[in-house]
Amino acid sequence: MRPRWRKVLSDLIDNKARTTLVVLSIAVGVFAIGVIAGAYRIISDDMSVSYAANNPSNIEIRMDDFDEDFLNTIRKFDGIKEAEARRVFNTRVRPLGETLWTSVDVVTMEAFEANEVNLLVPISGEIVPLKNEILLERDVLEKMDVVPGETLEVQLRDNSIKTIYVAGIVQDSSTGAVDFLAPPLAYISTDTLKLFDQPELFNRVFATVEIGQDDDNHINIVLSALKEKIEKNDYEVGRTFRSLTHQHPLESTINAVLGILMALGVLIVFLSSSLIANTLSALLTQHLRHIGVMKLIGGRDKIIFRMYLILLLAFGVLSLLVAVPLGGQGAYALAQFIANKMGFLLLGYRIVPLSFFIQIAVGLLVPLIAGFVPVIKGSRVTVQKAISGDTSGETSEQAEGGANKESRIDEIQLKVTRILADRGIRIQRPLLVSLRNTFRRRGRLMLTLFTLTMGGATFISVFNVRVTLHEYVKDVGNYFLADVTLDFDTPYRVSEIEQFARQDPRVTHVEGWAFSGADILYPDGSTADNVSLLAPPAGSDLVNPLMVAGRWIEADDKKKLTISEGIYDLYPDLEVGDYLPLKVNGKEESWEVVGVFKFIGMEGILGYAPYEYISRDQNLANRSFSYRIVTEQHDRGYQEMMAEDMDAYFRESGFHVQEATPGLSTLDSASESLDILISFLLIMALLTAVVGSMGLAGTMSMNVLERTREIGIMRAIGATDWEIIRMVIIEGLLIGMISFGLGIVLAVPFTYGLSWIVSTAIFETPIAVIFTPMGYFIWLGLVILLSVLASVIPARSAARLTIREVLAYE
Amino acid sequence: MTTSTQTFPLIQLRDVVKNYQSEAGVFPALKTINLSIERGEFLGIIGKSGAGKSTLLNMFTGVDELTSGEVIVHSSGESVSLHNLNENDLALWRGRTMGVIYQSFQLLPMLTLVQNVMMPMDMSGLYHPRKSRERALELLDMVELIEHAHKLPAYISGGQQQRVAIARALANDPPMIVADEPTGSLDSVTADHIFQLFERLVQSGRTIVMVTHDKGLMPRFSRHIEIVDGELLSEGGIQ
Ligand SMILES: Nc1ncnc2c1ncn2[C@@H]1O[C@H](COP(=O)(O)OP(=O)(O)O)[C@@H](O)[C@H]1O
Ligand SMILES: [Mg+2]
Repeated sequence: MRPRWRKVLSDLIDNKARTTLVVLSIAVGVFAIGVIAGAYRIISDDMSVSYAANNPSNIEIRMDDFDEDFLNTIRKFDGIKEAEARRVFNTRVRPLGETLWTSVDVVTMEAFEANEVNLLVPISGEIVPLKNEILLERDVLEKMDVVPGETLEVQLRDNSIKTIYVAGIVQDSSTGAVDFLAPPLAYISTDTLKLFDQPELFNRVFATVEIGQDDDNHINIVLSALKEKIEKNDYEVGRTFRSLTHQHPLESTINAVLGILMALGVLIVFLSSSLIANTLSALLTQHLRHIGVMKLIGGRDKIIFRMYLILLLAFGVLSLLVAVPLGGQGAYALAQFIANKMGFLLLGYRIVPLSFFIQIAVGLLVPLIAGFVPVIKGSRVTVQKAISGDTSGETSEQAEGGANKESRIDEIQLKVTRILADRGIRIQRPLLVSLRNTFRRRGRLMLTLFTLTMGGATFISVFNVRVTLHEYVKDVGNYFLADVTLDFDTPYRVSEIEQFARQDPRVTHVEGWAFSGADILYPDGSTADNVSLLAPPAGSDLVNPLMVAGRWIEADDKKKLTISEGIYDLYPDLEVGDYLPLKVNGKEESWEVVGVFKFIGMEGILGYAPYEYISRDQNLANRSFSYRIVTEQHDRGYQEMMAEDMDAYFRESGFHVQEATPGLSTLDSASESLDILISFLLIMALLTAVVGSMGLAGTMSMNVLERTREIGIMRAIGATDWEIIRMVIIEGLLIGMISFGLGIVLAVPFTYGLSWIVSTAIFETPIAVIFTPMGYFIWLGLVILLSVLASVIPARSAARLTIREVLAYE
Repeated sequence: MTTSTQTFPLIQLRDVVKNYQSEAGVFPALKTINLSIERGEFLGIIGKSGAGKSTLLNMFTGVDELTSGEVIVHSSGESVSLHNLNENDLALWRGRTMGVIYQSFQLLPMLTLVQNVMMPMDMSGLYHPRKSRERALELLDMVELIEHAHKLPAYISGGQQQRVAIARALANDPPMIVADEPTGSLDSVTADHIFQLFERLVQSGRTIVMVTHDKGLMPRFSRHIEIVDGELLSEGGIQ
């Protein structure tokens, strides 16, 4: 090997700690970018393909019971390609021997063999359930442990308990996709309906359109026409949903989340390159003498520049060897995780060429860019400076600037020390030395502070954003304040239910609510969207709305409603007092908007009108299907217990209970998916913190290395190991604390920025930011820990140096 | 051309002045030096510490810039004014024409002895890599270090390191060797050994300029000059 390459190789392998530090700092960035870019690609490819592969319905219609004949009418309808009828009803199941019930939506299918729309993918066991057998959607497994071949208990409306055989586990990525807050699904064939005491009729239509499967406008036209046809046949239509074949309903949300992660990945690359710049400029400084020797014996700038370029590329290649395989695995794991949560299948493990190339580009370019300036400077240095100049010195201008700064700092320090001493406060000498050392290399200190501060600020912000999001979900919970929601199959008199419920002393308040589905129309009379109209009594305390404009509902409102912010998507210029064309119970009407309130955007549009009006309009005055019950205590466990007790109690008394749900259960899944996002953000924040502390560790070891002689002299005059270690640790801690102080400040804009991005991505609306001390405390603890760790290793090696080694050091 | 440059001395210093700029002001390290170095001579530059010996040496190795004056080198058929060359050409020129030896050896610590000796050949590109290895081993053999060829500099003694530095200085077969107190950090026996090596190189036709503060060495040079406070004092004649 030519000696010049031999030298490059030695530079690479002789100082393993430094090489590891540089390689890891590049690798962290490459890894982060690789994981995110890979996952992004895998998900955006597979989500639509895997979603489309199961032939998702473009149209879902929830309607009155209908039979096979009417299904054929729908099938023949113009523009409809395939249509399947289902009967969906809610029931409760539990494994034999368990006490806890799980609510599931049972989907009844005509013919599993002829399944064309919303295809089921087998996971284990059978795919076709026989009579009195059931298939479970994978999500059920999150609530209970069950395998094919086991038996479940199901509870019927009349309270009787039957058993059913679990034939298999399937995945249904289409049916549940529109509403991931809905209960998990289970599947039976029509001949099992008798077991559930259900009529052999259908209540839902799932259909695909013939053309324009990815054209929402076209789907809407077909849907509107079909709805009209159905209503003409005297069936009532409830909610309807539209979805595109090649777009998972949650795609934009997932992409937004990945976008945020990508931004953090870029930040990590950025931070790690400043760390590399730091390490490389120290390396070049240490190599100044070598460069001088090579120039003395005939080395030209070009050769030396090339040698260090190769060294930089070697750092890059080594980091790629670490980061690319890990990044590929990580990308797939992240994609798998998201796919699992969102209920679609990936198309299999693969290397994503795009992310592969991005990683290679980042891994090679980052060290080149970060090392360019130090390498240029190093290769241009003159022989005289390189050989005669002290080997720890920087180039002359910097050294001079540094000397001035240093003496100023010394001066200030002297003054401060004197002032403190006058007041009886004495700073120990090692501490003084540390303080001065910290400021000795300003450029390096700045870079170290920068990385550590960015890491800390990101870390703190993630905690703030977490609380902000949870607080927002809790605010949304202000619309669901009841402890138990009790739904019946038939309407009962409100006074009767109230009297009944009140016999349980734990019940403190009962309200009967009404409900109505409605369509929001465009001015031209075409359907724009569904709106769920909830109708609590006007004076209800169980809704605590966050008004954006106007007022809340009042008892004597007629054809007036408050509506959620989502309306602005359809009517951007809507103002309070405007009239909105609605189609309620098949009649086109004009309702006055009296108020607009805040609500999670992706839930669709929600409206409120007073019970007093809606119940009369539905000829259900003083009666209701649905009740909100307030209990003595409001914690989760208590609500669950009360829901079970109420359910059992009303069933035993002969009421046709459909479902009793504990108050916060709908919010749980929302919080759950937020937590997934938060945990990703936290991982990224931790990575930035790791990069920051690697920077600190690098800086500390460089500082220690450059002070080898000084340490030797300290030892020669009797400093103990502990005193030297303490001196280095104090210096590390000082840097950590300064960055903590800066991080506190920087976390404020970071928090605002991050929560704006996250909330507009998920809730489609900016939300009020909340700060929590938790992130600050955890980061304080972490930064202390990291600073000490980052200093201990260099400190120990400094303490281990013998006087002879130190004085021999050049 | 060849014949015409042959008549010139190898190196001519004309009115060379070197001032150091420092916080205390301008320090004149060399005060109008005129000096010619002839082919084949063994020139000793003798002076006390701080007299300006190294500064003078740096003038005709081109390692440092001069304040005024000119250094002209006549070799391989060309006359070159050193300080008109750019840093790159100077490095290449120095690598091919001059072997430089320092008191502190200046070996690259991560390379074995043979690789250290190969380095100038690698830098100048004058020898094919395989050829340069052979040559490096020959040179190490000449300085009697062949058995240590694959050791790192840290594992041999100071005198041995200086012999490696000499072998390295000879790598590109330069007509001239410049040595700044090459024996300064060696014990007297080792120093004598190194000095004998220089004497043999002179016998084989090379020009050597050597700086020392050791007046006892005076008689062993073919010519010596003394430098005091940046001025040339006396000049010994060719013996
Ligand atoms: N870079 C420099 N800056 C300022 N003064 C210098 C510098 N280098 C050398 N000197 C001064 O110039 C004088 C001659 O130095 P030098 O040539 O190294 O002496 P010698 O090699 O004879 O011991 C000394 O007084 C020294 O202090
Ligand atoms: Mg000297």
